[in-house]
Amino acid sequence: MKKYNYSILLLVMFAFLGSSCVEDLPTKYEFTGYQFSNLDANAGQWKLVLHTSNEQIPLPTPAAPGSAELLKELADAKEMQNKATSAQLEAVSYWTNNPLLRWNEIALELATKYNLIPAPNPDGSYPVPDPANPSKYPKFPYSHPPYTSRMLAYLSVAQYDGLIMAWHYKYKFKRQASYQLDPQIKSAYENNGLFSYPSDGAVVATASRDILTAMFPLEKEFLAQKAQEHLESLLVAGINVASDVNAGKLIGAEVAKTALARASTDGMKNAQTTRVKSDSIKNAAKIRFGWAWENQETPQRTVGLVPLFSKVRLWNVPNVEAIRPGPPPAPGSPVFEESAKELKQYANNLTTNQRRIANFWNDGLNTYTPPGHWNRFAKEEVVANKLNPVRTARVFAYLNMAIVDAGIGCWDAKYYYHYPRPIQTIPGFKTILGTPNFPAYTSGHASFSGAAAEVMAHFFPANASQFRTWAEEAAMSRVYGGIHYQFDADAGLTQGRQAASFAITRAKLDGVD
Amino acid sequence: MKNYFRFLSLLCASLGLLSIANAQTPLDGLMMPKGEICIALQYDQVTWDRYWEGSTTRVNQNIGTFTKQMGMPMIVGGITDKLNVILSLPYVKTEASAGQLTGVQGIQDFGLSLKALLLEKSIGKGKLTGFSNLSFSMPASNYLSDYMPFSLGFGANELGIRAIGKYELDKGPYLRASYSYLHRGVTEAERDFYYAGQNAFYTGKMDVPNAFLGQVTLGSWMFKKKLRVEASLTAIKSTSGDDIRVYSMPQPTNKVDFDRVEGFAQYYFKTNGGFGLIASYQKAISGRNMGQFSGYGLGITYQFKAF
Repeated sequence: MKKYNYSILLLVMFAFLGSSCVEDLPTKYEFTGYQFSNLDANAGQWKLVLHTSNEQIPLPTPAAPGSAELLKELADAKEMQNKATSAQLEAVSYWTNNPLLRWNEIALELATKYNLIPAPNPDGSYPVPDPANPSKYPKFPYSHPPYTSRMLAYLSVAQYDGLIMAWHYKYKFKRQASYQLDPQIKSAYENNGLFSYPSDGAVVATASRDILTAMFPLEKEFLAQKAQEHLESLLVAGINVASDVNAGKLIGAEVAKTALARASTDGMKNAQTTRVKSDSIKNAAKIRFGWAWENQETPQRTVGLVPLFSKVRLWNVPNVEAIRPGPPPAPGSPVFEESAKELKQYANNLTTNQRRIANFWNDGLNTYTPPGHWNRFAKEEVVANKLNPVRTARVFAYLNMAIVDAGIGCWDAKYYYHYPRPIQTIPGFKTILGTPNFPAYTSGHASFSGAAAEVMAHFFPANASQFRTWAEEAAMSRVYGGIHYQFDADAGLTQGRQAASFAITRAKLDGVD
Repeated sequence: MKNYFRFLSLLCASLGLLSIANAQTPLDGLMMPKGEICIALQYDQVTWDRYWEGSTTRVNQNIGTFTKQMGMPMIVGGITDKLNVILSLPYVKTEASAGQLTGVQGIQDFGLSLKALLLEKSIGKGKLTGFSNLSFSMPASNYLSDYMPFSLGFGANELGIRAIGKYELDKGPYLRASYSYLHRGVTEAERDFYYAGQNAFYTGKMDVPNAFLGQVTLGSWMFKKKLRVEASLTAIKSTSGDDIRVYSMPQPTNKVDFDRVEGFAQYYFKTNGGFGLIASYQKAISGRNMGQFSGYGLGITYQFKAF
């Protein structure tokens, strides 16, 4: 009898092992193509960011319906659809009819992949990524928050200008989509009636590929393969013919060129300075204010992260001084002491919810950074509101311009004031978050988030209070984590909001939000 | 009565086999008779100043020497002569001697384990025994697993199934081998995005890799069964998981492997129950995504007849 008992026990064990399989964890945002809430027929008239005219990139007049040329293209598209492999059908469902969201997601994943801080050399010095030799350790780029914010701005602006032009031509030529021209072609997505020449998907695929290849040169082949898959899916999905796609590629390539020309001269290549320059910046602050931030790592990082990011060209803010906050309270002053006391209290009595907030917003190394976090929110909001591609691009362009402007202003304050971190000023202070390699004041998280929340509130007013609550939470997360004083967080939020106001003022000129 | 003395030693063996990643792994080849209860208090400390990042060695001066201490109360009881139950609840404390990150302490995982004697056979001048063991452990506090290397544990449920075989000569020496499969669930991070193995994950759930554990032990009874000494080699291999990225933090999704050598001794003041002492030493000799640890353990046991 006992033997039976043991056998039953064993059976139960195996049954449990077999049933508790690992669940599939999501590696992308789960959404499908959808019916756009609005087509924005006038989007071709919206203000371009980097271009002067919506016909700056000329397109050939498309072949007319019934022409031999178009009939041939329709027949080819139909054949592609009929012969689609399962991999091709999967690609159609992955890319959806708002593929900008996927390219943004790819950008965030690359930002994460490259967001690793260089390890010290055996002699205690630190190597720096070399754009001229990107595969040599540490790989180029080190996609820290400033780098990621700038990358996202170029990506989103190129997509936006490209789609404004695409919309202009769509409504100029009014070519119907392949599924409308040929009843035997079925659209894989909702039949939204959007004109198809040029293909908005092809604009986005090409512009995104080119911008991201410049920003992540080691990913050239991966990105080319992604773009190829995406471009092919436009035909398989039954929404475009070859000439739609070719015209879209033309626009995508040109807007990327314009954006990358700006990027090549925007000052980013000088943002990471030599030690001599870094020391002179530090000494200037010491003379001006009587304090200076020092990296506390071992071996010490003698140059902070991108001390001259403040010199990178702004998008909408006229100059960094326009959003530079007043000086922080001096170490030892009553306001400082109060803040330091508060930090020690949090360290000793952190609640479960405060710890959760600190970790939820950590967005540190090996993540998509705070700018990426807000792009993720934007993506989810776009789908919830069923925005069309050009309206989506508009949200991301203004969001990311405001975020990078806030970052540039924040970095200006960081190195202008050169304010020490809590682990430097409070003896024996330990934290649950890693302290980044740059000065404290103002908080980058607060600045990025303050800017992002305001832009989101402008575009999605129904959820404005939610976004602002998130921004305040993101700012406080750094205080809970012990790496920022309350005044860093407060000044950062204000600075971010100010940066956003310039972007929003510009967006309002279109009068469409 | 002879058997009784042998049963006495169960506890200590279990306690000596602590993994630094989780609570006790009941791998020994002993059983408690029905109605016997043994209570134990065990202290373990391991330290490391180098770790394996993937399979390469990394020294991080912002950690210095890492120390993990564990205090664990444990109860073993004989439900029947052939079925034992083991309960444990470790308290863990971690800290680094350098750097700015704070250590943590708290209750780790509650462990419940059942061990069954399936085979007992005299062969030649000794005896062959076979056991099976089913263990279950679950986090007993809301500690954050996604704070490695400081986290108290991997923060997921674990179901373990083991086969243990032992051949013991009547004179005292014995050879024991065991093989285990450790099935782990998911742990909850406090962030909802992370990167693991070239993939971004849009969730707070992290899959903690399952593992196989093999162990070979050579031991012997001495001084009329008042003392037992053992030397073991243990190998743990995760079945999946990613490597720690360059100069980056470890996380619960990592593929953790290691080989460990261990020495263990237990001593009883009396041969009919009462107090006993345990001492052990362990050292990792190779590994992947974990500290190059070494450390010792000390324990005290008290055994009595309850029913």
